[in-house]
Amino acid sequence: MIIELDEFTRVEGIGKAEIVIEDGTVKEARVKILEGPRFFEVLTLGRSYWDVPDLEARICAICYISHSIASVRAIENALGIEVPSTVEKLRELALWGEIIESHALHLYLLALPDVFGYPDAISMVSRHGELIKEGLTIKALGNTIRELLGGREIHGINIKPGGFGRYPREEELEGIARHARSLVRFARRIVGVFASQDPRGAKVDIPMATEDYLWGSELIIGEDKGQYTELDEVPVSYSFAKHTYYKGKPIFVGALARLLLKDIHGEAERLLKTYKEKIESKYVIYNNLAQAIELVYALERVAELGEELASEGVEEGLVEPEEKSGEGIGYVEAPRGVLVHHYRIEDGRVVWSNTITPTAFNQGIMELSLLEDARKMYGLLPEDSLKRKLEEVVRAFDPCISCSVHFVKL
Amino acid sequence: MKLAIFELTDCGGCALNVLFLYDRLFDILEFYEIVEFHMASSSRSKEKVDVALVTGTVSTQRDLEVLREARNRSEYLIALGTCATHGSVQGSVENAKEAFRRIYGHVKGPTKVLEPRPITEYVPVDFAIPGCPYNKEEMFQVLMNLARGVEPVAKDYPVCLECKLNEYECVLLKKGIPCLGPVTAGGCNAQCPALGLGCIGCRGPSMDANVPGLVEVLKEILPEEEIARKLRTFTRW
Repeated sequence: MIIELDEFTRVEGIGKAEIVIEDGTVKEARVKILEGPRFFEVLTLGRSYWDVPDLEARICAICYISHSIASVRAIENALGIEVPSTVEKLRELALWGEIIESHALHLYLLALPDVFGYPDAISMVSRHGELIKEGLTIKALGNTIRELLGGREIHGINIKPGGFGRYPREEELEGIARHARSLVRFARRIVGVFASQDPRGAKVDIPMATEDYLWGSELIIGEDKGQYTELDEVPVSYSFAKHTYYKGKPIFVGALARLLLKDIHGEAERLLKTYKEKIESKYVIYNNLAQAIELVYALERVAELGEELASEGVEEGLVEPEEKSGEGIGYVEAPRGVLVHHYRIEDGRVVWSNTITPTAFNQGIMELSLLEDARKMYGLLPEDSLKRKLEEVVRAFDPCISCSVHFVKL
Repeated sequence: MKLAIFELTDCGGCALNVLFLYDRLFDILEFYEIVEFHMASSSRSKEKVDVALVTGTVSTQRDLEVLREARNRSEYLIALGTCATHGSVQGSVENAKEAFRRIYGHVKGPTKVLEPRPITEYVPVDFAIPGCPYNKEEMFQVLMNLARGVEPVAKDYPVCLECKLNEYECVLLKKGIPCLGPVTAGGCNAQCPALGLGCIGCRGPSMDANVPGLVEVLKEILPEEEIARKLRTFTRW
């Protein structure tokens, strides 16, 4: 017998799952990614490196900045471009802006209805309107930052190999810094809300993240350091997303992995200490809590970086490549976890490209989570409640399905 | 009035952009009841709707079924965003079957894959709002017009017009940066030229676009093959 979960709701993209029952016990769980193929690796081939980040941004709307930055970092590594520290700081600011936009979307509009038992955030407005409005305010700041640095809220083209098209003015940077500082207290409230969730999903055995907080030239894979090529990618017949394993085990990427592997400071560090036990229990459901703590950290970092950049001043311009050929990898922490862009460029044109997205990395542990939870709950709950609870666990991954359907080695 | 949002294969941005209306989403809710919106709600319904917004390309059998359902259930259907109106990036792939084989090998996948196509090639649409992403102001105004019983009007001028109205410096003629503004449908308020960068053509061709004329100008800056690729990124022209 197969229990079919309907197409997932309150997630980005199109996917579903099925639980296989044999002789009254749960045998298998399959996550089926149904989003149609998007062909990005093929579309990059033959294209000028200058145009590639604008194309790659279209992989995903929720995290287009992450794709743009992973793409320009890979191109810069390949072509030997070294950007000044202000460009690095502005990119960091852009990524924090994206984390704010994306975490606020997930926490307040997609996951919160699970905590309060509603079908969506809109129907929560009459009883929990304040909380939803706070979330929308935080999300709007994230988009203001994305618009300022990326060029527009979705799919901007301002992030370029070697720098930016337009650079922000001092008063714009001061403005977002002030705004971010004023929103920290709202974000603290949402941390408390998500700390109340019961442990569910699998435990994270091998968290994976980039070396520095938002990027790096190496990955931390559990206890080891290495490159993404050390992971095994496996295509599966029932899904358009491949599965990834490290030494035969599923890995996990995202906010929970980052908090398990890296240091944070300020108010966010204090909150992390308060909820240390929950985070260190490593249940994937606490990816929600980890995102809430990280939302506080993101707002604090935007305030710090914005003030710093406004007082130092921004140096404008674009760094030209020394070479027109080479190979480079860009690792970036997208809101949902490690994102990889990898290119080979010859005479200014991309001749080989590969992209692996966080949701693709998480496919293995997503299935394991469904399997373990289905085993715990099957037979004890009516089928409808079981399906609903299983979908809540999928949602905790904050999956970004559109991203996951197009990776390739050509 | 009842409103439904249906998503086919895309980046999620067109559905997300509805949520980026923030407080004005509540203005829409004064006139419309949203009965289906899978990104934002777990509610599912099979009821008829007054207005359906459809985003994405038809890339799988599942997409085609959802599109047909959307058409059958709706009075007024809007193709929303460049995937739905012109095919956008995945629609621009040459020979999807071969591309699919290169990406997935001989693994079949969970549903039948079709050549990615805009929804306009499968069903009649009542209105089209292009853009990658579309301008959310435009979408807001279209929904408000429909709520008041007014037929919305499509924009039929190129990006250049908005660029000139904003008095931006012409990136193509002054800086020699490739720009598709002269042949691309306006409505975005010339967002890319505003950054000092060239228009990448994300809203698809404008009416009466003089493509050969632009190609002549671009030939001074770019190899012909690259011009063709630029023109074809969001639409097949």
